Amino acid sequence: MTSTTLSTDLSAAPRNRGGAATPVNGAKLFNRLCAVCLTLFALIWLVPFFWALATSLRSDGSITQHPVSPFAGGWSFHAYSYAWDNYPIGWWYLNSLLISVLAVVFTVGFCSMAAFALAFLRFRGRAVVMALVTAGLMLPTEALVLPQFIEYRSMHLLGTYWALVLPSVAAPVSVFVFHAFFRGIPTPLIEAARIDGASWWRVYASVCMPISRPAAATVAILTFINSWNAFLWPLLVLNQTKSQTIPVGLSSLVSNSNIQYAEVMASSVLGFLPLIAVFLVFQRQVTQGIATTGIK
Amino acid sequence: MSGAMARRRFLGLGAGAVLGAGLAACSSPLASGLAGAQPDTADVIFWNLFTGGDGANMVLMEQDFRKSHPGVSVEATILSWGNPYYTKLALATASGTPPDVGISHLSRLPLLAAAGLLTPVSETGLADLGVTPDRFTPAAWQKATVGGTTYAVPLDTHPFVLFYNVDLARKAGLLNAAGDGLKPMRNAADFTDAVRAMKDASGRYGAVMSITADPATAWRYFSMVYSGLAGPVVTDSGTKISVDDAAMQEAFAFLQSLTKGGLMPSVLNGSGANALFSTGKAGFLFDGEWQIPSYRLVKDFHFNVVPFPALLGPKPVAYADSHALVIPHNPNRSAGRTRHAAQFVKSLLDDSAVWAHGGHVPAWLPTQRSTAFLDQSPQRNYVQAAFTAQYDPPAWYTGAGSDFQNTVGATIIEALSGRTSPKKATAAMRADLKRYTTARPPVTMK
Amino acid sequence: MTTVAATRPAPEPLAPAAASAPPPGSERRAGLLLSAPFLIVYLLFLVGPLAVGIVLSFFNTTTVKSGLGGWVGVSNYSKVLQDSLFWDAMWHSVLFTLFTTPPLVVLALAAAVLAHRMPRGRVFYRVAFFAPYVVPSSVVALIFLWMYTPQVGLITKLFSGLGLPVPDFLGSTSGGWTAVVLMTLWWTFGFNFVLYTAALQDVPPDVYEAAAIDGAGPWQQIRLITVPLLAPTTSLVLILQILASLKVFDQIYLLLGGGPNQSTRPVIEYIYDTGFTSYRGGYGAAATMVYFVIIVAVSAAWYGLRRWRATSTAA
Repeated sequence: MTSTTLSTDLSAAPRNRGGAATPVNGAKLFNRLCAVCLTLFALIWLVPFFWALATSLRSDGSITQHPVSPFAGGWSFHAYSYAWDNYPIGWWYLNSLLISVLAVVFTVGFCSMAAFALAFLRFRGRAVVMALVTAGLMLPTEALVLPQFIEYRSMHLLGTYWALVLPSVAAPVSVFVFHAFFRGIPTPLIEAARIDGASWWRVYASVCMPISRPAAATVAILTFINSWNAFLWPLLVLNQTKSQTIPVGLSSLVSNSNIQYAEVMASSVLGFLPLIAVFLVFQRQVTQGIATTGIK
Repeated sequence: MSGAMARRRFLGLGAGAVLGAGLAACSSPLASGLAGAQPDTADVIFWNLFTGGDGANMVLMEQDFRKSHPGVSVEATILSWGNPYYTKLALATASGTPPDVGISHLSRLPLLAAAGLLTPVSETGLADLGVTPDRFTPAAWQKATVGGTTYAVPLDTHPFVLFYNVDLARKAGLLNAAGDGLKPMRNAADFTDAVRAMKDASGRYGAVMSITADPATAWRYFSMVYSGLAGPVVTDSGTKISVDDAAMQEAFAFLQSLTKGGLMPSVLNGSGANALFSTGKAGFLFDGEWQIPSYRLVKDFHFNVVPFPALLGPKPVAYADSHALVIPHNPNRSAGRTRHAAQFVKSLLDDSAVWAHGGHVPAWLPTQRSTAFLDQSPQRNYVQAAFTAQYDPPAWYTGAGSDFQNTVGATIIEALSGRTSPKKATAAMRADLKRYTTARPPVTMK
Repeated sequence: MTTVAATRPAPEPLAPAAASAPPPGSERRAGLLLSAPFLIVYLLFLVGPLAVGIVLSFFNTTTVKSGLGGWVGVSNYSKVLQDSLFWDAMWHSVLFTLFTTPPLVVLALAAAVLAHRMPRGRVFYRVAFFAPYVVPSSVVALIFLWMYTPQVGLITKLFSGLGLPVPDFLGSTSGGWTAVVLMTLWWTFGFNFVLYTAALQDVPPDVYEAAAIDGAGPWQQIRLITVPLLAPTTSLVLILQILASLKVFDQIYLLLGGGPNQSTRPVIEYIYDTGFTSYRGGYGAAATMVYFVIIVAVSAAWYGLRRWRATSTAA
């Protein structure tokens, strides 16, 4: 049943069943009213993005003089060059990118292997592994930063990317997403490959994984967003200015005595633009991923 | 199928090539992120917590160093003032990736030193560059010394001082004959009379200070008054409360005598104090000397700064703190890097006349006695305060911007605003202190 | 996001057809080898910190020195439990949960139900509502800080434009809560919206058709059919929201620093302050464990309740 949720496309769902079947005039009016309200609501939700963008293109002087008229005083990209020159944003991007990519690669690899073993193989300790993973779902790991810090320090991992990659690999959620998907794969397919003489590794790598692209995409996207956006743990772990991630680096600009509004907003636009772009491209997969990991 | 495979392989190769090129071109921070070594992005990595005027002065001093030491690169990082800075400094040092030089308040030093996070000055080669104890303000050098070992090089002393409006002081008849200072005041009564005279002259208030939601200022003010009568509020490295109840009640009563009598407002925030003082609606301002640059910006405003007179005790006391330069402990720092760090520290000391423009008294005596500093007014007026400086008592929890200052400061604010009696405030103070003295110290204090 | 699947019952282990026959050695080896990498990382970096935390809480460990420090028995725990600041911080986390959960659930439900009725523009709504969720917390804080700026910020201007008194968003406790709640609403609303949207897809369309034939208007359809059918989702959204809100740190730390005067400091920031800023690792670990037990208890209670309800309705 979980695999059906996975393969259900959100937008392929029945459209407008509620309204179309009721030819009552009041219903039409109701629907139109709803549409207006909802659209207005959605537009309000977009205001902060556009406000940040508009502010970043103005000059600080005209911002303080005409705070709410975004067209006063002309637009320029000056704030962007200032932000780029004054903060090592390029380094922060590189760090965030590398950490997130490493996290995705290792999470998809390790978690799918474990899920494959749990779904298709009988081995001693399988029940124990299953129980551990299930129990792991209940643990609020974010609350454990302090002992985590002490443990990582004693392993000399602090200050390295691995300190950020490893916790996201240890995510039982990802194992479950793969496990649920693998259980939807017909067993004869696996058996046929075995009879052809393929090793278990080959069955995993050449039969199972290629058809599990949707599950891999879900895990990859969610891991990517999670590790890109992580704040508290990277704040504790990475120290040098140039080795920060984007969220931690930009957090140093958060100060209510800051009056360089345009520069700060230019930095935040640089902070959200790549993620928004990725989201726009993969929006269906992202929301589907959320739905599959969250439902039932 | 094969097309898709080829495309994927191509994409993979491309990504690999980009990553590889990236790694090769700018190896240091990335490689260190993967391998965990110290990223040596510059010859001297310097952390500080200065923004505004102090920040600008520090940048000038860094540039002077670059000019005088071509070939030695400096990377300066500014972190948020207070707890965020000290948390970062401690964690970075504990995880083996500290900066080469950092700023620390001397009031924050005891814990950093006891935790073994700092390199003793004797091991940095600074003595060979002429950085010796006899060339510093004794009070500052002493505060930089914990358990017989000196861990920091004091850069300045920044006392809590008395600002006055020159025009109002003249009108109130408080100026001395030369007109460059106030007539001598000997005790609390003299001081109260002066504040009253200022109130009459301004027509509004005699004095102002930032009270609302400003526990640090409240603590500085209270510490100064109380220290005239009694010793530190905690002793034995912060494990024992040694409050003199009578003295503390007297101190609170004195603070309240000014706010309750309408000589100064009892509810006022920092910008309110700034507005009242800079527009001549108050004669005195009680604040740190670091506020001098911001009042310099006010046009046609004549003010001067002097140390506080003796209030409740026989002798004047100045509550103060110092910025100091520290070299965090790093077992992997090469001798070359240590030498560069020492050169940088020495250069900042020699250049501390620039630093004094922020209002601070240089701790480096060659600068303190130089004309470059002595020409600076009003800075030269309160050099004496550096010698009578009273710091936070040594403990693992005290210091600039600490939770301790916030907690006791909140109690003092209650008293200042008149919501609680001196007796109750003293009891509340004891309760605050108990929270800290009974907590187990994280490290053994020396 | 990581706890999302916490509520999903573990799929039953696959029962292979030939369960009675002992698996060949190659299968057993492959099983162990394939699960080993994950298992090692899992034990070291998820179970490990938990064990380390339990040990630390009995020692006077400091965050800035290696080594355990001296044994102190349960005194860390007794101190934590007696510390009024810890309970204040606990209360602030609960308060944040109380402030954010109702609007985040109700608004998401309303928006999802409305969006489901729209013939067009689903992608637009999804993008508009969910986009903030992929933005890092510090960027959200930067944008909202700018909008909260006195005199010139968009939200302060809006308040004064509507003739409302402008709260002191960053300087007062009530203003601070308003600021944080508004920001959180904007940031995380899309997550619940997506969960509801997905659940609505699973409602069979013939239910509506039958209702329409019976003459139910759209409002009645929503009230009598859609909302009751979404009850399981609501219960899921509710628990996810409660667990996520109890773990709040980023927004309050970035926007208010737990202030003014620690009056909004959540419990994770208390752990951060004592454990890292004051270096009291052992004490912070004890606070961590107390908090940890409370969170696990909440999710276990919910899980148990669901189980109990499922069995009692089945019976």
